[in-house]
Amino acid sequence: MRYTLHVNGRPHEVEAAPEAPLLSVLRDELGLTGAHYGCGQGVCGACTVLVGGKAVPSCTMRVAEAAGREIVTIEGLPPAEGRLHPVQAAFVREDAMQCGYCTPGMIVASVALLSHSPHPDEEEIRDALVPHLCRCGTYGRAIRAVQAAAREMATREEGAA
Amino acid sequence: MSDHPTPPRAGSWPRPQATPRIESLLRIESDGTVVALSGKVEYGQGIRTGFRRIVAETLDLPLDQVRVVLGETASTPWDMGTFGSMSTMTDGRALRAAAWFARQQLLVRAAARFGVAIEALSFGAGQVFAPDGRAVSFAELVRDQPLAGDLPEAPPRAAPPATDSPMRQEAMDIVTGRAKYAIDVRLPGMLHGSILHPPTLGARLESLDPAAAEKVRGVVQVVRDGDFVGVVAERALLARTAAALLKATWTAGAPRSGGQDIVLESDPEAEEAFRGAARVLKAEYFVPHVSNASLGPSAGTADVRPDGADLYTATQRPFPLRDEVAQTLGVPKEKVRVWPQLVGGSYGKNGAHDAALAAVRLSKAVGRPVQVAWSRAEEFRANTHRPELRGELEAGLDGDGRLSAWRYHSWTNPHTYGEAGRMPERLIVATSGRGAVPEYRLGKADIQLHLRPGKVRTGALRSLAAAPNTFAIESFIDELAEAAGTDPIDFRLAHLDDERLRGVLRAARELSGWDARPPEPGRALGVACAAYHGTYVAEVVEARARAGGRVRVGRVWCAVDAGHLVHPDGARNQVEGAVTQALSWALFESLAHEDGRVLASSFADYPIATARDAPEAIEVTFIGRDEVPPTGVGEPGAVPFAAALANAVYRACGVRVRELPLRT
Ligand code: FES
Ligand code: FES
Repeated sequence: MRYTLHVNGRPHEVEAAPEAPLLSVLRDELGLTGAHYGCGQGVCGACTVLVGGKAVPSCTMRVAEAAGREIVTIEGLPPAEGRLHPVQAAFVREDAMQCGYCTPGMIVASVALLSHSPHPDEEEIRDALVPHLCRCGTYGRAIRAVQAAAREMATREEGAA
Repeated sequence: MSDHPTPPRAGSWPRPQATPRIESLLRIESDGTVVALSGKVEYGQGIRTGFRRIVAETLDLPLDQVRVVLGETASTPWDMGTFGSMSTMTDGRALRAAAWFARQQLLVRAAARFGVAIEALSFGAGQVFAPDGRAVSFAELVRDQPLAGDLPEAPPRAAPPATDSPMRQEAMDIVTGRAKYAIDVRLPGMLHGSILHPPTLGARLESLDPAAAEKVRGVVQVVRDGDFVGVVAERALLARTAAALLKATWTAGAPRSGGQDIVLESDPEAEEAFRGAARVLKAEYFVPHVSNASLGPSAGTADVRPDGADLYTATQRPFPLRDEVAQTLGVPKEKVRVWPQLVGGSYGKNGAHDAALAAVRLSKAVGRPVQVAWSRAEEFRANTHRPELRGELEAGLDGDGRLSAWRYHSWTNPHTYGEAGRMPERLIVATSGRGAVPEYRLGKADIQLHLRPGKVRTGALRSLAAAPNTFAIESFIDELAEAAGTDPIDFRLAHLDDERLRGVLRAARELSGWDARPPEPGRALGVACAAYHGTYVAEVVEARARAGGRVRVGRVWCAVDAGHLVHPDGARNQVEGAVTQALSWALFESLAHEDGRVLASSFADYPIATARDAPEAIEVTFIGRDEVPPTGVGEPGAVPFAAALANAVYRACGVRVRELPLRT
């Protein structure tokens, strides 16, 4: 089957079986390897992308479901090429990563969190990160990074207002 | 982080075997970039940053003018492997010597060029300056005559000032999704392979019916070679689907039996000391199999050609892997090149070599590049697991509440390559015996190690046997402290001579406010400590626990003495990670198995700690002195955690937990 996928602001025509996981199509057809395979079972969060603004595991979403919807991967987080989203920048500043395999998923989920809850408390951040397993144990730093990003984004808002 | 047997002597700088030459370690390129070469590999422990910083500091260079090449067998010096948090120590020293030698050579050449004395020259930003302001770049100084020669020893470094940690080179790639892991390798014409794993250890393939698998569209070939079976297909999912259609029957391997019993300490007066003790305590502790459970699956890609091969994989041992592949293929070593890739977590043995070797066999069979990447289920089933450990403890206290007799018998499986019954004793002691002999003045001791084959495939996991042994021993020490009516920290200090271990205990006591926070019902602090390969660590853990209820970890305080710190924030990150991983082992993990078959196939059947379970805060303090050579930080933080938590749980709710995962 042919599908049109809207990924990172651009349409892509892909040929795939309807039940093919979105993750495989992103990685193998579009060369977007920033969403990672960690389990293929929807339980580790390494493959998380935004679909219609919501953070979802792309390994259990079928390509047929994703077609026609707005998909954003770690490679396409705003603002744009060459500049970091405040959440990405905060993860770098806090060094909230070790092997980094879980990190893109955590960042994408945190971007989704801050877009609907700009001032989350620690409990809310922990809850948002629960679907994201990190075997290296960087949870504490990730939580701090999300807090820092929230502060940073709030200051920017004020500056813009 | 370790699957290598030989521990370094505590606190000593390992010496390189032969005199290395600068050409093999460092060169200056025409654009002025200083390239540092090391046979070590990066797997998230931050050595690239550490090495870069060592070279940059020694040559007064900005960090971005140093490039570090790691583990590529075609260009870096031979190396046995990256294990046990040792990398900064050995190769860091060699690279510093190389950079220091480069500095001397550059000074000599600049002095000749300017006609001034060496002492008058100064360094900065990749240039050498004469007193009158004339400057010459490093690149210019080596243009006609590259750096060459045997490396002299570098003089001891002056303690460098504490600096902010540099940004990890990989960090930008990671947060933008550009970082390439072993599973992200794409070669032209590459196919994908999937392997049929034997259901139990040592099972032999009896029959194979590949018909259904071969019919799957996109399957290129089903490869069978003895007990090895793999499917090669155009896509990874197809290969996996087809492999599931293979009809195979297996005969179980011969039951593994036998083992080795090693006496670590045997005081002839031990029995008498037990008889004479005022009190004798006895307890048995148990630690189950746990899985390495790296988030990134084991993966390898091989391009085997008639005259040689290229291999792309996450490996801690690129050179031994190269040699093994060369031998399998019957080609000279230099014809095989290993290109280490980023790894999605490695805490000891991972399956990358197995995946890479399978890729080699499949690529050879089909004559095209093949990638083999394990599924999550394969990770659980085919990877190695940490051995079980049963620790039998018995101790005698004299009338003053001091240890007078000690017995520890540890029953466990191989923590490294090898089979119980056929391993060199030294290797067993250094791996399965790690942490079995504590630093305390034990009185008359009888300490033995009983190695038995594991029911499942066993291998190295972060700190090997040290974490399980320390859970048993450090929990028991708290039982003894209570029997002696002494505070747990005072009891430890009363039996310790080692000043560095005493130092971290005192620091943890102060940092956590131990004396001001006595246990209260449902909430208490617990302590444990360990000396591990020259690093000393004491942890205080706050637990909230009630009998029969859930255990929650509050704050954690770690005092660490790892000598001089090259990269303080990276070290802190490692300790925090080690604590969090150890928390996961202690609270959640036990690998279910039945007749040698691993039952877990998903994180749903093998839960690990999540962001909800992570400690409220982890406070790490480093108290090492700058004159003391650096030791590892990646493993030691994981060693005392389970005991500290179990001790806190006991003080909070009166339940002494002697088996992991921890239940009250
Ligand atoms: S790979 Fe999708 S949730 Fe694990
Ligand atoms: S950083 Fe390695 S799994 Fe999270």
